[in-house]
Amino acid sequence: MTGLIGALGEAWSELRHHKLRVLLSLIGIAVSVGALTAVVALSEYQQQQMAEQSDQSGGRPATVSISAMTTDGSPMDWQAFDAHVNDVSERYGFSYLTRIVNPVTAQVQTPEQVQTLNMRLVDPAYPVIHRTPLLEGRWFEETDAELLAPPVVITEALWDVYGRPDLARGFALTLTGDVAGSYPVIGVTPRVYDGDNEKLATMLYDSYTSRVDALPADTSVTWEVWMPEDGVADIGPVLAMDLRAGVDKSVDVTVSRTDWASRPEAQSSAAMFELITGAIAGLVLLLGGLGLVNIQLVAMRQRIREIGVRRSFGATGGRIFTSVLLESVVATAVAGVIGIALAVAILRAPFVLDMFQGMQDIPPFPMRAAVTGLVAAVAIGALAGFIPALMAVRSNVIDALRF
Amino acid sequence: MELVSLVRLEGVAKHVILPDDSRLDILRDIELAIAAGDHVAIVGRSGSGKSTLLNLMGMLDRPSEGAVWFRGEPVRKMRKGKLDKLRGRNVGFVFQQFNLLAGRTALENVAMPLGYASGRAFWNRRRTATAMLERVGLGHRIESTPEQLSGGEQQRVAIARALVRRPALILADEPTGALDVETGGSVMALLDEIASEADAALVTITHDLHVAARARRHYRLEAGVLTPFDLSAPAAGAAAAAAYDRIDVAPELAESVSAGPVDAATPVDGAPQGAASRPEVETETVEVAS
Repeated sequence: MTGLIGALGEAWSELRHHKLRVLLSLIGIAVSVGALTAVVALSEYQQQQMAEQSDQSGGRPATVSISAMTTDGSPMDWQAFDAHVNDVSERYGFSYLTRIVNPVTAQVQTPEQVQTLNMRLVDPAYPVIHRTPLLEGRWFEETDAELLAPPVVITEALWDVYGRPDLARGFALTLTGDVAGSYPVIGVTPRVYDGDNEKLATMLYDSYTSRVDALPADTSVTWEVWMPEDGVADIGPVLAMDLRAGVDKSVDVTVSRTDWASRPEAQSSAAMFELITGAIAGLVLLLGGLGLVNIQLVAMRQRIREIGVRRSFGATGGRIFTSVLLESVVATAVAGVIGIALAVAILRAPFVLDMFQGMQDIPPFPMRAAVTGLVAAVAIGALAGFIPALMAVRSNVIDALRF
Repeated sequence: MELVSLVRLEGVAKHVILPDDSRLDILRDIELAIAAGDHVAIVGRSGSGKSTLLNLMGMLDRPSEGAVWFRGEPVRKMRKGKLDKLRGRNVGFVFQQFNLLAGRTALENVAMPLGYASGRAFWNRRRTATAMLERVGLGHRIESTPEQLSGGEQQRVAIARALVRRPALILADEPTGALDVETGGSVMALLDEIASEADAALVTITHDLHVAARARRHYRLEAGVLTPFDLSAPAAGAAAAAAYDRIDVAPELAESVSAGPVDAATPVDGAPQGAASRPEVETETVEVAS
């Protein structure tokens, strides 16, 4: 115990004594540890962004999509099938279930003209499952379906058509035709990409269907369920069986998983990015380590006498080995911490955050990256310290004291 | 009961094989016993094997032949780690070139040996080292590095370092060699004083007559052979003084002069000549020490 603390103390005092030498040799280490850490963190950011983007299209893991169609060409009874899905869903206790109709069309009065507007009909669970972000306002609540003036959420492009009016002041879309009426806008979704010009309004399924007799003939409804990822492989087939059980033979029910996690290629591409950039950073780290070995070896020649003196005052071979090894380890650990701080600073820099625009949940600085960086730093220190430490132990005390 | 001496060298020889395969004898058949509190001076020319002898006593080196005993235990049989710890615990070194750690403060230098101790000695090392520096009169310079200290001050720091673990044996290799006469005198006085305070045995290697005169027993080392020498014997005093003075100037002259005193000293000092005479030696050393 005292041996280790003593060795650590010696290592630290030795480093303090040779500040400049240590500093110069450690710049490389700090930079490469910083790079390594940044690479891991960036890859984490990238994965998060990819996940969020694919969540927006395919739903969060695990999202299961249910669709149905008749095989004999007769019209599908959506209402009946919807009741069936609801029954089954209740038995399974799903808490996130949404119907999706995309698109139905309506006529909307814009400041210039009346034009056709694509509408998407969903349930309140939809934006949760798809992580659909909002620029302004809020998403639907369960009680919104009962409102006499059904709320809608519109895209930024559509909002721009009206000159981005303040939602809090009461801005409403005026629709004409079957669903004629005034629809207060409660939320705006941002553009998904630069130049995204899609004009779309999202409305609650129930709000729409209560205003029309039936869905337009050529539309189809799909259902999406968000369920725990670890159970999906078992539940999926059983769910499909249950859904098929209560319906007519002529109805073909499809149950499939749509989220990105069911597709391994996204993960493997992230792993590849991390592997390649990590390997480059690792090589830089190795070069830094070689520089450190070099400097420590030269320094060791000058320190033979000091080691002799220490030996004559009772330092064991093991103790000398440990303190010389720890010198490198402590030094690289310090450099590692500096490198990690550097990486944190870089990742917090505005230009990096700009690269990941639109990310909802900016992951906290990944612990994995910090740990990777620190472990790499300590490992390179131990590697670089080993040869000088061996040399220090092998040196002959008597020769060391003589000159 | 027979008293066990602190360090005992028994028929010790040291030789090295040179690159051309010839054998170089450094020490030959050394018999020496040091008791607790003893004060011994060893005089000899450069290259006579003084440092090798000191290294053997300090357990830094192992003899080619013969045995070294520390507190009655054979050094030969000890494991390396145990030997290092034993040395740290019991032996303090003072070097001619001070050998302080460059760039470290006096306090760090003096605390260094305590870093190899354990328990309370380890945790209290700064306090102990400060007290020791105060004892050598450098309480006001504890934060100075060797580069900021004069030669005499550096050697005082080195003395504080050698004594900070209260060793039983202090080995001083030409402690005044790098100092002027006056500073050397005061440094030696301090070393003497602290060593006797701590009841530590002090072995000084020197070529300086005045330094040697401080010791109670004197040996002369020449060409690897150690012979006792009585500096205080009235008959030998003047001749010995002359001999010492001439050692550096004209070795061949010194040799002829010193032959006399060696013989004269034998009955007084009792050079260990084998197993039979050993008890007598130890009685003798105890008397000297008391």
